[in-house]
Amino acid sequence: MSEHERLREWLALAAADALDAEERRELDRHLAGCRDCAAEFERWASLAGWLKCLPTPQAPAQLIERVRARIGELAVARAERQIDQRTLVWLVVFSWTVTVASWPVVRLVSQGMASWLDVGFVHTWFWMVGFTAVSWLGAAVAAAMLAIRQRPARRML
Amino acid sequence: MGLESEVARLRQSDPEALGRLLDRYQHRLYRYLCRLVRNPQTAEDLFQQTWVRVIERIRQYDPSRSFEAWLFSVARNLAIDHLRRRQPEALDEPMPSGATRGERLAADAPSSLDLLLARERDERLAEALAGLSAIYSEVLTLRFEEEMKLEEIAQVLEAPLSTVKTRLRRAIEALRRTLEARPGASIPRES
Repeated sequence: MSEHERLREWLALAAADALDAEERRELDRHLAGCRDCAAEFERWASLAGWLKCLPTPQAPAQLIERVRARIGELAVARAERQIDQRTLVWLVVFSWTVTVASWPVVRLVSQGMASWLDVGFVHTWFWMVGFTAVSWLGAAVAAAMLAIRQRPARRML
Repeated sequence: MGLESEVARLRQSDPEALGRLLDRYQHRLYRYLCRLVRNPQTAEDLFQQTWVRVIERIRQYDPSRSFEAWLFSVARNLAIDHLRRRQPEALDEPMPSGATRGERLAADAPSSLDLLLARERDERLAEALAGLSAIYSEVLTLRFEEEMKLEEIAQVLEAPLSTVKTRLRRAIEALRRTLEARPGASIPRES
């Protein structure tokens, strides 16, 4: 490939301003002495200038509003999810605390303290059933509250 | 307010920063998506998805890199996913220009001969651009319409600089061939 042919292949890239400084200097030296390549470069440059002036499709105004609204909805949904997650964590911690704490209480009631307080076997079971019922009721209320909170988010998504 | 501070505020979930970035990039991003998918309705959907993705992933953005390049690469990945879901032959399907209805109506209004010729010329170019394969029209849009540096284009395309230069040269050559292949066509001078 001759020098002329090699540099002629750079003309399109030169019009796109995509040559590095050294390549551009080399091409400019060639263009100064080659009228054929200079005329060809003018055509590439004209096409490049034409491309830069193409009309821009305008984003519809309602599109921006839709994007803003959608992102707002997602932000609200995300905030509610975070609250739900925190609530869930607290409920889990609470339930484990109650469970762990119940064992020493049961032991205390069923053994040492039982005789001091004169609590019999029937009384112990009465308190255990009551304790379990309250726990279950608390869990059911918490589950219902979570379900009510998540209903709007499910509708939105 | 500078772009960097806007992006920093967006990372802190500032909704006003999002609004300003939306205003700044709305037309450019929409134009890029129009050129890529060649369908205004799809471009609108992808535009919305892009900003949702930006909000979701803004913490993954590396501030040492160009935000524009990152934003356009997010849009590009979504567009590619969309194009992959379509039938393969649709990728090279020639489509009309991305000009809005308003621009078309304006083109029909009475105007000077020069204006009409310029519009005809622009339509011809837009059609030729839309007739190129997506990888060529994309690189031309990024270079000439978005005026991105080659390094930024490389970031958007996730390709080496040498690949970008090769693709750019082939794209502009293909565009010229397309224009010159039309009957009576020539490359007009800039107006």
